[in-house]
Amino acid sequence: MSAASQYHKALIIAAFSSLSLSAFAAPVAIGYQAPLTGEYAQYGNQFRNAANLALDEYNQTHKAAPVVIKFADSKGDALEGVSIAHKFSDDNSIVGVIGDFSSTVSIAAGKVYAETHLAQLSQTASHPDFVKISPWQFRNIITEAFEGPYNARWISQNKIKKVAVISIQNDWGQTASKNFAKSFKDAGGEITALESFNPGTRDFRAILTKVARTHPDAIYLALMYEDGAALLQQKLQLGFNVPVYGSSSMYEKKLIQLAGPAAEGVKISTTFTASSKEPNVQAFVKAYEARYHVEPSMFAGQAYDATRIMLNAIAKAGGEKASREAVRNALAATKDFPGVTGNTTFDPVTREPAKNLSRLQIHNGDFTSVAN
Amino acid sequence: MLDFFDVFLVQQLLNGLAQGLVYALIAIGFTLIFGVLNVVNFAHGEIYMLGAFAGLLAIQLLAPPAFAVLLLVAAAGLVLGVLLERVAFRPFRRFNDEASLKSKALREATLLSSLAISIITRELMQLYVGADMQSIPQAYLLMTPIQLGPLSIASGQVLIFVTALLMFLLLQWLLFRTRLGLSIRAVSNNRLGALHVGINVNHIIIATFAIGSLMGAVSGIVVGLYSGNIFPQMGFSPGIKAFVAMVMGGLDSIPGAVISAIVLGLCEALSTDFVSQGWSELISYGLLLITLLYFPRGLFGKKVERV
Repeated sequence: MSAASQYHKALIIAAFSSLSLSAFAAPVAIGYQAPLTGEYAQYGNQFRNAANLALDEYNQTHKAAPVVIKFADSKGDALEGVSIAHKFSDDNSIVGVIGDFSSTVSIAAGKVYAETHLAQLSQTASHPDFVKISPWQFRNIITEAFEGPYNARWISQNKIKKVAVISIQNDWGQTASKNFAKSFKDAGGEITALESFNPGTRDFRAILTKVARTHPDAIYLALMYEDGAALLQQKLQLGFNVPVYGSSSMYEKKLIQLAGPAAEGVKISTTFTASSKEPNVQAFVKAYEARYHVEPSMFAGQAYDATRIMLNAIAKAGGEKASREAVRNALAATKDFPGVTGNTTFDPVTREPAKNLSRLQIHNGDFTSVAN
Repeated sequence: MLDFFDVFLVQQLLNGLAQGLVYALIAIGFTLIFGVLNVVNFAHGEIYMLGAFAGLLAIQLLAPPAFAVLLLVAAAGLVLGVLLERVAFRPFRRFNDEASLKSKALREATLLSSLAISIITRELMQLYVGADMQSIPQAYLLMTPIQLGPLSIASGQVLIFVTALLMFLLLQWLLFRTRLGLSIRAVSNNRLGALHVGINVNHIIIATFAIGSLMGAVSGIVVGLYSGNIFPQMGFSPGIKAFVAMVMGGLDSIPGAVISAIVLGLCEALSTDFVSQGWSELISYGLLLITLLYFPRGLFGKKVERV
């Protein structure tokens, strides 16, 4: 091929692309796949509500280049998720995709997006394999691999050197306690006991007595709030007075109702609290309640942030001129994005999110924010 | 090794004793009913759970003094026992001839019907009150610590000890010192013979269910308030342990069941200390296996062949 014909070809492409931009300037779109019907419909609908809220806020300030969101119902089904992925990939207006809800559907759809080179950002898929599919996958939810080390750093910052870990004997509990223990040791701390209990255990006195013998300065709990409530009450009765830190799975109002005074002083880190005093969280909660007449949950917060992160990436990638690749690169460059679920940074290599979690302590029967 | 003989070990033995007594509380009623009918009452764990819920309901609606809660729960247990017998057991006791009494098929049908009642009750409770734990008003919790030097006992542990002791003694008195007890022992020993000497077998069986379930229900509320857990699944795990204690004790020996239950509790606490809590169940079931292999009639069972 001669240089002249190459030049002509480039000219023709340039002409067409400028034509498509000026004459056919369709607004750029985000594809949002989520279970809007079926077993997980309650989550999908919260995502849609939160995403629409974020979109309207964005379009008010970007009137020149508005963005639209195209929703598709995956019904929580992996096959459905794959066909949506094909549909979204064929739709040239879509420059980025948010969703799906579960890791299973997100991974199935993700394999398509990996082929078609369309950036996918899941607000909730926490399976380790999800972001490993291709450089086109991102997530906005932290995993145990982030939370354990975060809490370990928090505890060592509070000058606590010896910690005993009590966790539930299942996949999640084991991962959570191991991740925590490893980082705590790396931070120079000592793990005095690493105990786990069978799911269904209701009497924790034997474990607590065993742990007390090792004289820890604090206890770290990786368990569900119901187990936590029983354990805290029995700990109080045994007169075993050491500070308690818990995984975010214990962040639940019911914990305080069940454990009463035994829950006082427990420290937990979490991503989203509707009662947070942060101005941006308050603004979101207020707007969400005004529009949908219900307090936003953690899931709504996750979707709101995911949508805003995607919109931000589209704006940075050139707004209405954004290409799929530019959006992906802008997503990967997300750094300290201020959201309602904490400030988010994507690791440029692993594409795992890092957030500064909010630290809570139970005080006078309520979760209150603390600095350390 | 020597540093294990410290105050924590004593505390651990106390924990184990309390846990064993919890199993014993359930095992007493379990064994009583088995003795009379020769059939395992799988719904006993649900009577225990319903007793706890009855107590919680009384606390929420009436807020009576703690002692009155126990009386109300005892009454509820009595009614539940009679109902249970009527629904799950009576339909399989239509015939009193020797062949029916010795029929394995009928006994298995009865056993399955109690299992069915147990599952239905548990699932219905989950459907209507939800599977999660109920909040208990703090004032009623039996968790007040009683400090004995470095050791800590909960008020509930004292109550469990007293309840278990009372139940055990009352039952022994009832069985060996009263006319009702004599009739219960007669039915348990030979139902046909009891019938022939003019004992109203149906009444005795109903009475046994009433007494056994009363004890089950009272254990439920006491343990519920002591552990701070009241939820529809609560009867399952301790029910299984009480069943193990009953089998180890020789199926129809109440003292045997109580001793085995305490042994189980102690073994669980000590295995948590020396190995880990994950292994404690293995140790309980290991003990059961050893008993069945080497003492097929249980540690305290009568030396007679069971039909």
